[in-house]
Amino acid sequence: MSVTRDEVLKIAQLAELEVDDAMLPALAEQMSSILAYVAQINSVPASESARPFIPGPDAVRFRPDEVKPAPLAFGPAVFAPAFQDGFFLVPKLGQFEDGEAEG
Amino acid sequence: MSDPSESLASAKAVADRVIKAKRLNACLTPPKELRASLAQQAQAAHHSGVLYGMPVAVKDNICTLEFTTSCGSKILGGFRSPFEATAVARLKAAGALIAGKTNCDEFGMGSSTEHSAYGRTVHPTDKARVPGGSSGGSAALVAAGAVPAALGSETGGSVRQPASLCGVVGIKPTYGRVSRYGLVAFGSSLDQIGVLGRSVHDAARVLSVISGRDPRDATCEDRDPLRLPTVPESLQGFVIGIPKEYFPPDLDPGVRRACDRAIRLLRELGAAVREVSLPHTAHAVPTYYIVAPAEASSNLARYDGARYGPRFDGSADVRSLYRRTRGEGFGPEVRRRILVGTYVLSSGYYDAYYRKAQQMRALIAQDFRHVFDRGVDLLFTPTTPTPAFKAGEKLSDPVAMYLSDIFTVTANLAGLPALSLPIGRIKGLPIGGQFLGQAFLEDEMLEAAYALERVVPATEEA
Repeated sequence: MSVTRDEVLKIAQLAELEVDDAMLPALAEQMSSILAYVAQINSVPASESARPFIPGPDAVRFRPDEVKPAPLAFGPAVFAPAFQDGFFLVPKLGQFEDGEAEG
Repeated sequence: MSDPSESLASAKAVADRVIKAKRLNACLTPPKELRASLAQQAQAAHHSGVLYGMPVAVKDNICTLEFTTSCGSKILGGFRSPFEATAVARLKAAGALIAGKTNCDEFGMGSSTEHSAYGRTVHPTDKARVPGGSSGGSAALVAAGAVPAALGSETGGSVRQPASLCGVVGIKPTYGRVSRYGLVAFGSSLDQIGVLGRSVHDAARVLSVISGRDPRDATCEDRDPLRLPTVPESLQGFVIGIPKEYFPPDLDPGVRRACDRAIRLLRELGAAVREVSLPHTAHAVPTYYIVAPAEASSNLARYDGARYGPRFDGSADVRSLYRRTRGEGFGPEVRRRILVGTYVLSSGYYDAYYRKAQQMRALIAQDFRHVFDRGVDLLFTPTTPTPAFKAGEKLSDPVAMYLSDIFTVTANLAGLPALSLPIGRIKGLPIGGQFLGQAFLEDEMLEAAYALERVVPATEEA
């Protein structure tokens, strides 16, 4: 399994992660080695009948559907990078790289 | 100790011990803040609580109101949680003192505590070596005698592996035994809060207090808190399985000797010991390193510079704000795992990686069910393939680092309880032995650990 520099860039874009150009060769090499290692599970004929295993309770319990105040010691204004009038502040939504405007 | 001046003196002594261990870089809380908080906590502590006055350090990925919760990451630098974890609230209700936040691999991703944005933690007996990870700060503080117990968290062995490398006890409870509310999510189907302690009893006492139902975590089972067993006279009636896949021919000879000695002692205690097989063990690490990064890539999507922690600004629009913040805020191991996780979940690769890993996970869990259905009560294995390794030794080779989890990831994949306790030393370095138990039968696992702990020469060369 070999991952190219362009594939790393594409995946980084999907993951919303800025990656330094200088780091791309090393990242491609490390990802290739990790993916080659984990791909060994494909050598096992896992039966399709193996039910996916998820630990924990079989069913999610319901709670009473009541509106309760969030039990926070302080509000988001304290921990958010920028907050005003009940909203998180971010730069203006711009055009995406492919030219599509965010809806 | 209801006298206020006595409480304050005790809080000062706790702070002194933690601060004295500063050279380990195990505690991330600044000394002044630690002293002030401990003094305040000591005065407010519940006198009648079962852990009254007991200092318990808390891994930096578990939310506390007293201290910041950075998860060892720049992206949450200085983050103060507006709520505390259920486990922390229960410790405080039982009278325990929260003795600072401990260093860890960023978001729990690592096996050496070298992947922390706040510098590596040093092994307590050899500064050139790592304490293991990701709960390396918790393990090092307990091993240095600064605190009798600490909270850690496990996704693939992050409590048991550092416990083994530092010579302390580490318990990973059954998935659903302890609430995950307030534990910063890494791999939600694998994560559990665990306990490190200087003895089985110290760790078990803390586990008992933090366990039990919690309506704030839908994956927490509707069960009473764990009841502690008494120390047994013998292990008569116990059937202990030795899975042959955990003793490969190339196992470190010192680790093998220590395990052989522990197995002989288990027999002398009256347990019936028999060899068993868990045939899919060899595929546990590759399975884990698909499932965990996949879940991490989803869980860590929330760190975008809009809602928490610092923002790496100067961006023209919101999307570049996300990318810059994440690119600069996450360290190299977290970036790698997000990329691998995104890759294995992406269209065209999902079936070959993620779906296949889910099938393997089912087979690994089935291996354990088969063994336990045939009359085996517990399994005994090495916790780690080697003692503590040198700092930097595995940093440039992620797969080599992942292999240090080879004996621990299975319990997380299968959701089972497991415990590591010191069973000897190899050239002066501690090594742990591991009990793997049946779901929600931590009491049986603790009984065996109590019994072995009393007789094993844990500080002697194997």
